[in-house]
Amino acid sequence: MRFYEALGLEPALMLDAQDLQRRFYERSRQWHPDRFARASAAEQQKALEVTAVLNDAFRTLRDPVTRAGYFLGEHQIVSSKHPPAELLEEVFEMNMALDELRSGDESARANLVEARDRFVILRNEIDHGLSALFTQYDKSLHGNPDESLLLAIRGVLDRRQYVANLIRDVEKELNVHVSN
Amino acid sequence: MAYSNKVLDHYNHPRNVGSMDKSDPNVGTGMVGAPECGDVMKLQVKVNPETGVIEDAKFKTFGCGSAIASSSLATEWLRGRTVDEALAIKNTDIVNELSLPPVKIHCSVLAEDAIKAAINDYKTKSGVPAKETATA
Repeated sequence: MRFYEALGLEPALMLDAQDLQRRFYERSRQWHPDRFARASAAEQQKALEVTAVLNDAFRTLRDPVTRAGYFLGEHQIVSSKHPPAELLEEVFEMNMALDELRSGDESARANLVEARDRFVILRNEIDHGLSALFTQYDKSLHGNPDESLLLAIRGVLDRRQYVANLIRDVEKELNVHVSN
Repeated sequence: MAYSNKVLDHYNHPRNVGSMDKSDPNVGTGMVGAPECGDVMKLQVKVNPETGVIEDAKFKTFGCGSAIASSSLATEWLRGRTVDEALAIKNTDIVNELSLPPVKIHCSVLAEDAIKAAINDYKTKSGVPAKETATA
């Protein structure tokens, strides 16, 4: 996987944030285009290309969610076209509740804040679950990589995306109320 | 993203928003979603079991303007059609009607999926094969 290779890493879902940053800085310094000012055109081009990949790699890998998305994409596991019915029901109900609060007057604000807090707690729970799955999968990398775990992770990421959208929506709503 | 006038019209004045009783044997419910964009779409049809004609259609969509417009348009088209005619609705019909740009084509696919899911739910519940329903 290109992004892991660029940073000299073995592909894994759990990464040490400090180590990742150290590797990125090291290689960025080494390949900084300024250091190639007097090099040949081909070398200058190479430095530019490596730097661009390093930037993309760091941006993608430093966040566990985008990292997992990349990792799954490399395994050809994309977002489900047909998410499970329970998830859709759950998301629909959460949206309905939010809709109701939205149409309320200023008195709904407390409820909106409460809804936001609830969604944030849910997102944190999801993130804890993700970490556990990441660790479990990485362990399986020493033997037979457990592909079923990757599918499970995809499902959790899809759910997380929905919850993240709900948080975004409710925060937008809260900001509107503030500016009024 | 610049929306077409038709998308804006459906977005600002969505048709047939609402819901029907899921447990009604003549009501078919389709719930679909696209996790990447966080869309979720519920579409329901109420079928006359004698004629196989869709008498009412309702939807509720949480998503972007194109997703809302696609499902709103779908409910307009569904009313008065037979179940089989409804299944003939293609996402490309929606794309053409609403002049959806390429990046929003998946919204029309979602609407087509919702129609199919709702009709299938109705068929499963009524236990009547589609052809008999349509020609009865």
